[in-house]
Amino acid sequence: MKARSTVIRPLSLLGLILSLLIGCDSQPASHQQQILALGTLVDVVIYGEDEIKAQQAVQTVREQLEKMHHDWHAWQPSKLTHINAELAQGHSVPLDNEGVRLISQSMQLAQQSDQLFNPASGQLIETWGFHSDERNNAPPPSDEQLQQLTQLAPSMANLALKGNQLSSNNPAVQLDVGGFAKGYAVDLSIKALRSIGINNAIVNAGGDLRAIGNKNGIPWRIGIRHPRQPGVLASVDAEGDESVFTSGDYERYFDYQGQRYHHIIDPRTGKPAEGTSSVTVIHTDATTADAAATALLIAGPTQWLDIAKKMGITQVMLVSTASQIYMTPAMAQRTTLMESPANPVIVLTLP
Amino acid sequence: MTLADKLAIAFACMLLPYLYINLWGNNSQGERVLIQVAEQAPMILPLDYNKRLEIEGRLGTSIIEIKDRQVRFIDSPCQSKRCVIEGWLGQDHETTACMPNGVSLQIIGKDARFDAMNF
Repeated sequence: MKARSTVIRPLSLLGLILSLLIGCDSQPASHQQQILALGTLVDVVIYGEDEIKAQQAVQTVREQLEKMHHDWHAWQPSKLTHINAELAQGHSVPLDNEGVRLISQSMQLAQQSDQLFNPASGQLIETWGFHSDERNNAPPPSDEQLQQLTQLAPSMANLALKGNQLSSNNPAVQLDVGGFAKGYAVDLSIKALRSIGINNAIVNAGGDLRAIGNKNGIPWRIGIRHPRQPGVLASVDAEGDESVFTSGDYERYFDYQGQRYHHIIDPRTGKPAEGTSSVTVIHTDATTADAAATALLIAGPTQWLDIAKKMGITQVMLVSTASQIYMTPAMAQRTTLMESPANPVIVLTLP
Repeated sequence: MTLADKLAIAFACMLLPYLYINLWGNNSQGERVLIQVAEQAPMILPLDYNKRLEIEGRLGTSIIEIKDRQVRFIDSPCQSKRCVIEGWLGQDHETTACMPNGVSLQIIGKDARFDAMNF
């Protein structure tokens, strides 16, 4: 009997330790679901809610994204194509409340970015063939074509919004909200989630995200993908309410006769912006973060600090095409690089 | 020290490598793949069985291969073939999609290093 208990006791103790160790590994489950919307994959993570509430939350996000996609599509019949047709004919066009909010916010962001974020340059985007789900194998536009378009200089400064009436003094203005639509849709989704009592969630639209709350007191850990190789460049912890947006020259592009052309067009040259592989911005609201990431990529390694200051953005990481990483002090303080970069990170203070 | 104590210690020592690998090991390696098709129920498949799948999407058939704990698009009816060019996915949270065909792949790790990927 004694011999038996001497075997059972240590084995029981071992079993207890084992179950404790395994118990340490189990985390409360978070609900994660992907939606195909806005022409991209949207990942929704909900923490601390039951399955029924989480499903309701995902449906809420889906409805917001589908509405946004339907209303503001740049090349399928939508509210936006109607607005563009009216503006091109020199007519003023009445907007609904949502339209007023979206257009006025984009006018403000364009003005803050010195018009580098330019949603009025829809013609340029179309000329480059990015107004289609599948670009055909056409050559890039000629320099003459691009020169003509840039000389017309459409910008958000050409627009006037009086009450709900939108008008333009430049018929070349064609709105394309692609530079901040994801951000705007993510903001709408987060607002809708909060309205149904969801306070711990991530809405990640094709790699650009807004995270609210946390996971049982633990911040959300966000990986920032390397722009030039597989794997993760850096990580940041997000807590409370933060948007992490990256614009990169690798997101949409086409190759023609050995040359790669990406989709972020510099409105000053009419050509894909040069000098920058990716820009990551962290900001409270996703719309601003999205527009700022676009504007700073266009601004490039020489101008990004000035534009960031004008747009009120304090947390930026820019990776140049020469693989040099630049950061603002606020970004450097919270960013963990996954491996040592070839060149030391350059931390620059906003002017 | 009794024989039972010795047995328990030996057993614990043998168990250590298993515990290390499973609780503190490289958990970023993917375990399963989430395959989503527009308007259809999602599928989750383990990555430890080699398999070739034909998935019917909006435009036609996407061919997906699972091999050596990785997954990739072999073919898809899109024009750009970007999903095919993307190649193998094997790390947690890696994602690719054939948007025109409405088919996406996402690796699900055992214990994700990140809650979300930004790119």
